[in-house]
Amino acid sequence: MIATQEVPLQEVKLAPALRALREAYFQAIPEVCVERPRLITKFSVEAGLFERERITVLEKARLYRRVLQHRTPVVWHKQGHKRTATGLEEFSFDDSSPFAGSTTSKFKGVPIYPEFMALALWPELWTMSRRQSNPYYISEEEIQALNLEVFPFWMDHNITELARARGTEEDRRRMQLLQKFVFFLASKPNCISHTIPDFSRAVREGLRAVINDALERQERSTDQRQQDFYQAMAEVLEGIIAYAHNLADAAAGMATRATDAKQKAHLTEIAKIYGRVPEQPARTFREGLTTIWLCWTAIHLENPNVGLSLGRLDQVLYDLYRRDIDAGRMTVEDAVQLLGYVWLKIGDHVPMVPAAGEQLFGGTGSNQAITIGGVDSEGHNAVNELTYVMLRAIELMKLRDPNLNARYYPGVNGKDYLRRLCEANVNTGATPALHNDRAVIRALTASGHTVAQARDYGVIGCVEPGSNGRFYGHSGAILLNLPSALELTLFNGRHRHFGLDNVISMETGDPYTFQSFAEFQGAFNLQLHWVLDQAIALNELFGRIHQQFYPTPILSALFEGPMESGKDLIEGGATLNASGIAIIGFADVVDSLNVIEKLVYGQQPSDNTLFRAIAKNYEGYEALLARVRNPEKVPRFGADEVNGEKNAIWLTEVLHEATHTRRNYRGGYYRVGYWSMTNHAGFGRFIGATPNGRKDGENFSSGLTPCSGVTPHMTAALHAVANLPAECISNGMAVNLKFTPDDGDRTRMLDNFTAAVAGYFDASADHGTGGMEIQFNVTSHRDFIEAVKDPSRYDQLLVRVSGYTAYFKDLNPQMQKEIIDRTEYRLSSGDAVPYEPFALTKGADHDN
Amino acid sequence: MTTRRSALQLASRAFPEPFQNFLVGRLARQLKAELCEKMTDDFLEALLRGMDWAFLLSGSYRRNIDGFCGICVFRTLDNKVSTTAVFEDGHMSVEHQARYTYNVRVSFQDVHALWSFLLSENQDILDSILANTVDVDGNLNYLYRFGFLAKDLTRRLGVA
Repeated sequence: MIATQEVPLQEVKLAPALRALREAYFQAIPEVCVERPRLITKFSVEAGLFERERITVLEKARLYRRVLQHRTPVVWHKQGHKRTATGLEEFSFDDSSPFAGSTTSKFKGVPIYPEFMALALWPELWTMSRRQSNPYYISEEEIQALNLEVFPFWMDHNITELARARGTEEDRRRMQLLQKFVFFLASKPNCISHTIPDFSRAVREGLRAVINDALERQERSTDQRQQDFYQAMAEVLEGIIAYAHNLADAAAGMATRATDAKQKAHLTEIAKIYGRVPEQPARTFREGLTTIWLCWTAIHLENPNVGLSLGRLDQVLYDLYRRDIDAGRMTVEDAVQLLGYVWLKIGDHVPMVPAAGEQLFGGTGSNQAITIGGVDSEGHNAVNELTYVMLRAIELMKLRDPNLNARYYPGVNGKDYLRRLCEANVNTGATPALHNDRAVIRALTASGHTVAQARDYGVIGCVEPGSNGRFYGHSGAILLNLPSALELTLFNGRHRHFGLDNVISMETGDPYTFQSFAEFQGAFNLQLHWVLDQAIALNELFGRIHQQFYPTPILSALFEGPMESGKDLIEGGATLNASGIAIIGFADVVDSLNVIEKLVYGQQPSDNTLFRAIAKNYEGYEALLARVRNPEKVPRFGADEVNGEKNAIWLTEVLHEATHTRRNYRGGYYRVGYWSMTNHAGFGRFIGATPNGRKDGENFSSGLTPCSGVTPHMTAALHAVANLPAECISNGMAVNLKFTPDDGDRTRMLDNFTAAVAGYFDASADHGTGGMEIQFNVTSHRDFIEAVKDPSRYDQLLVRVSGYTAYFKDLNPQMQKEIIDRTEYRLSSGDAVPYEPFALTKGADHDN
Repeated sequence: MTTRRSALQLASRAFPEPFQNFLVGRLARQLKAELCEKMTDDFLEALLRGMDWAFLLSGSYRRNIDGFCGICVFRTLDNKVSTTAVFEDGHMSVEHQARYTYNVRVSFQDVHALWSFLLSENQDILDSILANTVDVDGNLNYLYRFGFLAKDLTRRLGVA
């Protein structure tokens, strides 16, 4: 047990000032910040960038440097807006955070990126502060700023439009598919993101050393493009230093005016630290955190935060932590408080989500993952004291962002550590997510990482693993609606959503006429390839547009690889490259294949009743529906060890084969993962009844989780997931499990919890590596139901969606239903608890 | 612009903004009726006519399209009704046919679908797409701008 004097770590509480700031944070609704788009637009006009056929990295760098120099240095925030019975109202609070600066000019801001999707907010500017779900505050002056000074300039110049105008007719047809949301979503029109920067060098050496390195390389290089790239790196890093110095000056000015001696000293200390870092090497834990925090704000100036992640902070900062503790400069309690303040800073912005997005992604944060624990690059136990301190800070703060992910290497990391991770899940209800190092490292080495690189993985966004600070894997590049491929197979290249008169993809035969399940699988494989082809072609187009118009000098300057290669990240400068596809609706497709195999082609002759039933949404086929839904009658993924898993393994292998040899525009390869965020609810609305007994418009199962209601025993469900080949799942997976919180014997509950995870991760069983990932909701069914009825009583209820954490109240009704309906297991027995499906009130499914 | 319209626009500059909005409200009665009472097939025409009055009489509304050039085509999915809004040099003109070249083309099933897509307080864009009641072709940013103009008008009319 780690202790500070006589206080055990688990008894460390939040200091009153931090607790009060956290309360203000929960009260505050997000506010649209127009500072960035105003500056970006103004300086782009002045630099003539709207007239360019291509924007160079140096032009971008100079633009960002100017913005960093000119943005308002906010040391502390004093005001926010909160919801009241009559609308939104301003409120004041005390902020005395040791960390100055913020992602936007607001306490909790919505950053605006007109280069990407911000123009979608245009028609909503007057109404967004009134929308029921996740409103944003914006003043009239700010509305006019966006309407008159910003948005008009970007109408022909945002990434989507640049791609549409420069793409082929075929590309435009694919973009039409994208707009329909039915087959896939692509995230490149919205961001260059989903990766982990490398903070270690900035912390260890300071940005001045990185600038000097870049300028020396520029001097040595004979290649003009390389010279420009190194100059660009220096420009943006100078910009970050300038921003830090502006904050230092602002803090010093406030200190001069302060009348309270304690506050004066506090501000003077901030001024001193910001005058030093990130320019110079960090000497203390607090300085290290400041360096990371300031670099983090700069990265978000350049790119929207969609799964940008902080990586292995317990490794990057451990030496500084140890030194401070050993020298008596800091107590463990101090460290927890510092982390609490940083967590609040990290969560100081929310992604811009327009009304339509609210229905698909409502409640999502930026999914900023932090990774703790696991092994180091040599395979040794990397769990340290700071790992536990971070865990405690997360437990006390219970925030949506950052999204904590804990690594566990069976046999190397201790069981006590695993138990502590389980305990944190019980205490927070939803975090951290747990990752099995053995399986992840196997997956990463199979996809091109060296063993050392793989051992040094961090978690990106939701659950995606990648080597820390050197892997640009854009893991969320494509979100694929897998059941849409099944739909095209069932209807011979047509899709019920578009009407059965139109062939959307290609005719692969009428399943009524197939003679065998193998024939059906063959057709499915062709349709799946067609959907993948469309999504990948579009991803490549957007990637090329990024290369022409959106070089990323800030992210490149904080990454391993670009310095060595002299190339921007989006040109393939990172040490490791890939593009990630998230597969949504996996279990529904697997179970559908299982049902088709048994009930259609498993009969002699084939029985097409099932196809007729799904065409009628099972109306008039109630007996068949009951049979399809009964795991004792039909093999289901997660319920039947042999037959239920065969098609699951086949499908993961097919998806892997279809993607891992496709090279992307940066020289990396595509890889697939199984996590769905909220899209299993959103995508579900576009697909009619499926052969697994799911009715029209109902949710799909989340991530890689077996379908709800058909897996009566936890062990079998976990076993099915653990049996899938890790090598085919290098883009991560999310398995969502819901546990009933035991009111009684907490020790026994934790024993069972730990044993369940250890068993799932266990490689000694017949599955090779053990399961890769697992995450939990530990909240009672009753509390969820109450939270729907009275959200104000549960405004801090944290849940795991499928990958990330969210506040339950922020989720759209369909997503809330999905979480309530997830199979819930009793830890004491491992048996599912029977509940009736939660009934959405009429209209609630689109009441946003 | 006709002499009469120019004169009206000039005269309106003498009035304070609330009075300009009042005048727009009086002249855009049909749109208010469409939004507050019963929506008819004339909704799109009433919307465009209301916008036209607002551009003419309200300086702050006109500012929304300073320097804006763009062509937005609206048509029913069956192509029976087509209208084009042409923005040029700070003015809007309406043509009762679809232009073949456009920045954005919105095809809608009926006026309710269009209203829901453009103006509903709780826009259900996903439902519009789900139900295939609206289809958009071209540069979406022009539609977003048009959506802002429509919302800004209804706000001025006091119906949003």
